[in-house]
Amino acid sequence: MIQVEQLTKSFKLYPQPSDRIKELFLRRPFHTRHRVLNDISFTVADGEALGILGRNGAGKSTLLKLLTGVLVPDSGQVALSGKVTALLELGTGFDMNQTGLQNIVINGLLIGMTPAEIEAVRDQVIEFSELGSYIHEPLRTYSSGMVMRLAFAIAIHANPDVFIIDEALSVGDGHFQQKCMRRIRQFRAGGGSILFVSHDLNAVKMLCDRAIVLDQGNLVVDDEPEVAVNAYNQILGAGDDLDDTSETRDKGYGSFEAKIEAVELIGQDSRADIVTSGETATLSVHMQGHQDVGEMTLGIMIRDRFGQDIFGTNTHHMGQSLAIEQGENKRFDFHFPMHLAPGKYTVTVAAHEGMDHTRHCYHWWDNAVSFEVAGIRGAPFGGVCNLQPTFTETCAQD
Amino acid sequence: MRNVAVLLTFTRQDLIDRYSGSVLGGAWSLLMPLVNILIFTLVFSEIMGARLSMAGMQQSEYNYSLYLVSAMLAWNCFSATVTRTTTIFQDKAGIIAKVSISLRTLPLYLLLSESTIYVISMVFFLGFIVLIDFPLSWSLLALPVVFVIQQVIAYGLGLIFATFSVFLRDIRELVDIVFKVWFWLTPIVYVADIIPDHWAGVLAYNPVTPFVDAYRDMVLLHQLPSLQFLVVTTTVAGVTLALALFITQRLQQDIRDFI
Repeated sequence: MIQVEQLTKSFKLYPQPSDRIKELFLRRPFHTRHRVLNDISFTVADGEALGILGRNGAGKSTLLKLLTGVLVPDSGQVALSGKVTALLELGTGFDMNQTGLQNIVINGLLIGMTPAEIEAVRDQVIEFSELGSYIHEPLRTYSSGMVMRLAFAIAIHANPDVFIIDEALSVGDGHFQQKCMRRIRQFRAGGGSILFVSHDLNAVKMLCDRAIVLDQGNLVVDDEPEVAVNAYNQILGAGDDLDDTSETRDKGYGSFEAKIEAVELIGQDSRADIVTSGETATLSVHMQGHQDVGEMTLGIMIRDRFGQDIFGTNTHHMGQSLAIEQGENKRFDFHFPMHLAPGKYTVTVAAHEGMDHTRHCYHWWDNAVSFEVAGIRGAPFGGVCNLQPTFTETCAQD
Repeated sequence: MRNVAVLLTFTRQDLIDRYSGSVLGGAWSLLMPLVNILIFTLVFSEIMGARLSMAGMQQSEYNYSLYLVSAMLAWNCFSATVTRTTTIFQDKAGIIAKVSISLRTLPLYLLLSESTIYVISMVFFLGFIVLIDFPLSWSLLALPVVFVIQQVIAYGLGLIFATFSVFLRDIRELVDIVFKVWFWLTPIVYVADIIPDHWAGVLAYNPVTPFVDAYRDMVLLHQLPSLQFLVVTTTVAGVTLALALFITQRLQQDIRDFI
């Protein structure tokens, strides 16, 4: 259980660090205040996972440091029940000259475990880290991946009540990442709360029950991950106040020099928005130019019913250069074989400048169209997509 | 409980583990003080033939060695504790910035570590005293009291310097220099009597001089430290400690913000 109430934090900025001492003795202020977090309140229940989104400098790290007690807030309160372990403390206090075993103790103590707890999980940590006999070697002989694995293994076995997971989770190979995810799910199923800070929007949607968005120190959204992620995208693209665009939210947002009028997806054979897996589909985007736009990129992202990104591309990546003139109506078609597994999908469409929408976004439209894949053409398959494998058999001969 | 474990681990790291991989291991942290004692005792008594006579002290060819070492060990410990504590927040910035750890408790491991070295050195020194047949007395039992008072002051001073050096880097260099000068302003290697009169005032106002004298009284002259000394130094220690804790408390938020 985490309860954050009206948390405010500002940093005093001094022209020189030594001015802090001058201030102390001369009793006259030398600093300017820079507010990093402004009146933040939210709660996370036991067993709940909360995503925290925000651009760089939005105040995410400061918030986490306040939660872990590394920084002291100006005002407001943080109430945490139980022990907090943060993956941003990965490898704190690691001594490169000492063995893995010794570092388990040092790091474990620093992230809040008692000697008895460390003793109890030590074998599990060693097993989880897959370091084997390397655990008796000094850390300086490890590869960076091995150090990270050890750090992870310790943090993940700290058995906290609240787990703060940073971007750090994206380290390690796929196998190890999956192991970590499994462990985190177990932890959550056991009633632990999770705070998940990431720029990986997919991971936020997959892992979190709710998400908050921070923008310039303010909490602007506290909602379902899907809604929060879209709002975050909006901040990335527009950088404007959310309220200004709320009325156009359904049809997206942007600067509208070029506007997406309508989007449709039609199967080549079905002539409808229900297509068969393996059938070629055409996604048509109808656009109107409100001004002359000399350089435009059109991007699409297909998402499944969990909001998970399945496939996306844009004309920039495809080597196409688009343009539209004022008053002009154009139709742009994407053709692709729909090798997706049966299910319901939505398509988000965006027109912007350059390779992504962060520089200048003309129009971003979430869930502009939805479609369904029903049935499979050819051999059945499992998973989310059909990789169309071929198969050969060879007899090994000496 | 956990804090104690953290401190012990840091202390262990400081004394033993930093020599891990070497053949002698933790013995290295004992070797330095041992060599110091040997150099000062042998060089000054055997080679330079220094002789010293103090009123009330039994004559021995090692008199000067005893005079020197009894003060030197305590000074080394005092000086190392203060100078190392001064830089603690910068040295451990990686930890302070990442986990919630008490800024007051963190430097305690240096206190522990340096005090341990002193205690071990003292054991060697006492062994040496027994070896040369110099008499020991019960007054030595007061030595731990004086040492504890000294180390409380060292911790307090170190903590004050450490807090300020976060904002003013020059403090660490300044402390280094002050301690080099301070060493020679204290009658450790020389006898106070040889000082010209116009310098004598400096020694009189040097707060370390009474400590040095107290150690010598106990080891060489078999006298207990005076009650006045104990009262005054305990008061000083209390005030230093209170001031240090107050300053650290006041500036705690700023320290964490800066690091």
